[in-house]
Formats: sequence, C-alpha cells, structure tokens
Amino acid sequence: VSAAMWGALRGARRPPPALRRGLAKPAGPRSVRQLREAEEAAPVFQYAGKAAKRKDRVFVWGFSYSGALGVPSFVKPDVGWKKPRRIQATPYRLETAEKISSVACGYGFTLLSSNTTDIIKVWGMGLNKDSQLGFQRSIRDRTKGYEYVLEPSPIPLPLEKPQQTRVLQVSCGRAHSLILTDSEGVFTMGNNSYGQCGRKVVEDEAYSESHLIHQLKEFDSTVVQVVCGQDHSLFRTKKGAVYACGWGADGQTGLGHYNITSVPTKLRGDIAGVNIIQVSSYGDCCLAVSDEGDIFGWGNSEYLQLASVTETTQVNVPRHLPFKIGKIKEAACGGTGNIVLTEEGNVFVWGYGILGKGPNLIETAVPEMIPPSLFGWSDFNPDIRVAHVRCGLSQFAALTNRGELFVWGKNLRGCLGTGRMEDQYFPWRVTVPGEVVDVACGVDHMVSMVKSFT
Amino acid sequence: LNAAPGRAPRQHVRFLPAPAGSDGGETGLVAARVPVLADHPLVRGPRFRRLKIGAGHRLDVKASGVFVLGIGHGNKLLTDLYNCHLTKVYTVGGLFGKATDDFSDTGKLVEKTTFDHITREKLERILAVIQGTNHKALLMHSNIDMKTQEAYELAVKGLIRPMGKSPPIITAIRCLQLTLPEFQLEIHCLHETQQYLRKIVHEIGLELKSSAVCTQVRRIRDGVFTLDDALLRTQWNLQSIQNAIWDCQLKVKTELEKTLG
Repeated sequence: VSAAMWGALRGARRPPPALRRGLAKPAGPRSVRQLREAEEAAPVFQYAGKAAKRKDRVFVWGFSYSGALGVPSFVKPDVGWKKPRRIQATPYRLETAEKISSVACGYGFTLLSSNTTDIIKVWGMGLNKDSQLGFQRSIRDRTKGYEYVLEPSPIPLPLEKPQQTRVLQVSCGRAHSLILTDSEGVFTMGNNSYGQCGRKVVEDEAYSESHLIHQLKEFDSTVVQVVCGQDHSLFRTKKGAVYACGWGADGQTGLGHYNITSVPTKLRGDIAGVNIIQVSSYGDCCLAVSDEGDIFGWGNSEYLQLASVTETTQVNVPRHLPFKIGKIKEAACGGTGNIVLTEEGNVFVWGYGILGKGPNLIETAVPEMIPPSLFGWSDFNPDIRVAHVRCGLSQFAALTNRGELFVWGKNLRGCLGTGRMEDQYFPWRVTVPGEVVDVACGVDHMVSMVKSFT
Repeated sequence: LNAAPGRAPRQHVRFLPAPAGSDGGETGLVAARVPVLADHPLVRGPRFRRLKIGAGHRLDVKASGVFVLGIGHGNKLLTDLYNCHLTKVYTVGGLFGKATDDFSDTGKLVEKTTFDHITREKLERILAVIQGTNHKALLMHSNIDMKTQEAYELAVKGLIRPMGKSPPIITAIRCLQLTLPEFQLEIHCLHETQQYLRKIVHEIGLELKSSAVCTQVRRIRDGVFTLDDALLRTQWNLQSIQNAIWDCQLKVKTELEKTLG
C-alpha cells in the first residue's frame, strides 16, 4: 500500500524499500508446544543439596524479665519501635554461637553448654545474684559484676586442659549450678549457704560477684550425671552409686539425717548396691531409676510423692517404691508431682497439682497412667511413643519419638509455651518449627533443643 | 420414572343413570364406583416433571470422586449430614520439582527446583508436624472449655471436633507412596475445599526446600459414603439409583442418630 501511495505523489523521491515495521502484535494465547518449550527451558533452582544437614537450633519461651531467655531486646529494647516483652508465650529462636549439646533451666537463669574443645564451652544468662553464672565482669565498672545477665555470656571455667576437656552436662538449681566435664570432675558455683556446692559453708559469705568456682573430683568412679535440686546436689557415678550434698531438712540428701552436708557423700538405704542409671530432682523430692526398672525415692513427701511406702512427710533414706506399672525407663521429679516413663512408652504421674488427667485429678499417691491418645496415638498412628519426660517446678513435658513436645501443668508466666496464659489440664502440643530433641523446664521458662526438618 | 406404573386413580361413588335395559323411561340410579376423571393420566400429565436434587459437599471441576446428592425429601437429610461435621478422605497425588500459580499441574509455571534430596523420612516428618498443628487447631476451634473434665474425656477418646464453622482442618495425613518425583497422600479433613488441598501440596513442597504441584485430587469417602456406594457414569440409571438409596438408608440413619442424638 505504501509503495502505491508514494508512487502517486508527483516528483516525490521513492524511499529505499524500508523494512516493514508493523505495529507490535499482542502476545495472544501461546500454543501447547510453546508452553512446553518454555517450561523445559526454564532454569532449575536448587535450594538444598543431597547432603544438606539438618540444623540444630535452640528455642526459648517463658518469663523474660529475669534475662533467662537470653534475648536482651525483650528486657531493654534496642530499637525505638520495640516494646519490652515480659512474657514470650510461644517458642522463640535463640541464636547461639556453637551447637548446644546440653541445656539446664534454674530458678530464673539458664545454662547452655556445648561439647566442643574450644575455650568457651558454657554460656549462662539470667539471674546472677549468687554468682550462679560465675563472675560476669561489668563493662562499665571493671571491678563489679552483673546481677542480671541478659545475653548468653561465656562462663570462664578454671580447666587444666581447656582445649581437651569437654563439658558433658549442666544442671541448675535455685541459686547454684553444676557443670560436668569428662575428665576434670564437676565444677560448682553459686550459693553455698547449705553446702550445695560441695564445699564447706563459710559464715556470712558474700555470694554475689564471687569468683569462686569449686571443683569436685573425689568420687568412687567418674561422674556420669549431675542433678540439682532446689538447694541440694546429686551426683551419679558410672558404678551406679549416688552422692549427695546440700540442704537436708526434708531428707532430700538421703543420708539418714536432716542436717546440711557440705561434702558429697554416698547414699545408702535401698539403693546400696543397686546400679542406678538415672537420678532426677528439681524441688525437694528425688527419684532414682535402677537398671532393672525399679524406682527409688527420698526427700519431701508432703505432696504424697512417697506416700505409697510411708506416712512420714520427710524421708531421709532412699526407699524402693513398689509400683506395679512395668519396667521403668526414665523418671522426672517436679516440685509437687512426679512423672515416670515405662519401657512400653506409657506415662504415669502421681503427686499433687495439675497432673495431666483433667481438672478432677488433683492429687494421688499411686501412679495414674495418662492415655496415649493424648500424645497423638491413634489407629491411624499406632507407632507414636513417648520417648522422654521432663519436669519443671509445676509443669510437665513429654517428648514423643516423632519429635513433638507436649506440655501440661500450671502455666506460670507463660512457661508452657502454648500461646495462652491459662493452665493446661491435659497434654497439649507446643508448635515448634522443628523436631524437638530435648527440653529443659524451669520455674517460669523453658528451653528446648530442636533439629530443623530438612 | 414416569414410565413406571403410577398410583391407581382414585375411585368414587357416582350415581349413574341405570342403563336402559328394557324400554326407556326408567329413571333409576345405580351406584357405581368409577375412576375420577381428574385422576386420568391424560388429564393429570406426567407424574414427575421436576426433581429436587441437592448436592452435598462441593467438588471441584478438576477433582473427582464421591459426590453425594439428595433427591426430594432427602435434601433434609443433607442438611443434617452437614451438621454432623464428618470427615472426608481424599487421595491427593503430587509432583515435585515444579511450582505453578494455581498449585495444579495445568497452571502457569512459576519455578522449577531440584528434588533429589527428598527422602521418605523427611516427608513423613513434615506430615507429622502438619498433623500436629492441625490437631491443635481441631481442639481450639471446637469451642470447648479446655479446663473442664468433660473436655479431657472427649480429648482422650478423640471425639473433639468443631461442631460449627471453622477453617479447614486436616485430621489425619499420611504418605501412601513416594517415587520421586511423584508422591501420593491420603488426607482426612473437615470443612476443606479442593483448592486448599492443592495449596497444602504446594506448602509441603516449600517446606521440603523444593516445590510441588498437585496432579490429582480424588475424594474416596464423604462421611458415611465410600467409593463402593458411589455409582459410576455407566450406572446412572433408575434401577441402580434406587438400589443405592435403599442400601445407604440404614447407614445414614445410624450415623445421624449417633452424632446428633
């Protein structure tokens, strides 16, 4: 058309045959072949390789103003728009420098430890009024220490071979803490007014800002587990013996008297000669599990924890608890209630408080089983078993073999992590973005070690 | 239906003049039962002109499976069944490696990813966590006070269910087979839509650090109706429909009595 037009004009010079530039055509629906070719030509993204490892994470929740959660912005916001968060009701991720292998929650403070051979192996956060986290030098005044530690701060341990010794386990009580190493015994720090640190009680000792970390080495064999009660300490050795020191007014040292013990002494009673494979305590009552599946208890029995064998409210010698519930694998002791896990994977509770069988069961001296259907067991999932049980002061926690965490008990300042502030009368799932490997329960906060999914 | 023999026409008594047997003039009346003219089929017309058919839970165009219909008075049973809030079971097929905008394999491609790092173990872990969070949602939306003893007892028996409106909840999910890149899941759910199930497949892909699209959604059970009760396309005739209604009557009645009391 354009050539004819041009030709019609007289005397006009014909332009060179131009490239025909039509108007741009709209895209139109692409044919199936075009779509398929575009799909095959699209780039493939790789987000995870075949050897992608699962990451280890730490999640915290509960009351944060003591600093026990290790997130300083909850207590002192670093940015203007952040508000101080008194309670963290759901699990919150805590960034740690190393892979954490052991966690312990005390009364307002937390200890994290890693089994590396680096110099820094243990971090602590929370209350430090009795130097339960060692001496934390204050930046502002180099002679004073911090009373509240808001971030996981390294705890300097007086190790002889700091680049060879590994920290196996940590444990926290009301105002003292114990650190177990593989070759250098047990280190204790914190309040020693009842001898719970394993050293002689010094009158009017100032525990705050103290540099003293005591080392305990004299046991019949290597110490394999350390447990802190409220004001006493228990040590379990490889040969199956149990040592105790600290306050004994409730008989929790199990040494046959109600006095203070300042040197770890071996327990007798019904556990003499028995190979104990696990010890547990958090308040003033203690439980021990033997390799044959028997359970022994001593200490405070005001809440019917040991009422099945004796009427006295303080038992100062370990007594065998003849429960006919099967072979016991693991036991955990709380402030007023106790929980055990049997070989078949059943969970039994007894004591006082919110035991996990509805609001009607407040106290019982005989263990009651919690139905497995509450932990997710059903005809659809018959393989679900409870793998571990843990106890806080008035809460219980159970971990299943699928990595799910169930909590129940008194919801003190949001420590259950369910997102609600009400008490929970039967096991309730905590939504954690990962597979929960271990959990440590404190009075008003909890810390869990989690492996990511992929 | 209209060809089936209908109701016999009503009969009434009419006084008809007697047939004039002998010579006329007799005005006697004889009572006789005659059919009512108004009931004659040519007057009345076909018995069924329209049928009231109601549908149970919705089924997508792209999905397939059991689809419950109610006919006539059965529509009232449909509302009762809806209020029972029973679970539905789906077989969902998926494909790893692709992500599309409408989560199914016929949509526009958004991204392609690798999937060789996916193992059955990882998939089962993700499914376990999906089940866990949905179980929690089940307890929360059931509007029962968690602090009562009866809530504890219902939770033990596993009978806590939302009896009102609630967002889609998956009560059980498991992997039937996994042969990369394809996989098949069996999902038991409440108050869901098929697009929600496709979105779940997409999210499983994301969680496994890859991507997934849904290739097949098939409902295999809807409350009490399973695949065995369902009629195939070739069986859409009156006899099979009548047989099916007859067989399911008892099941539906017992289920309604059990749930709604």
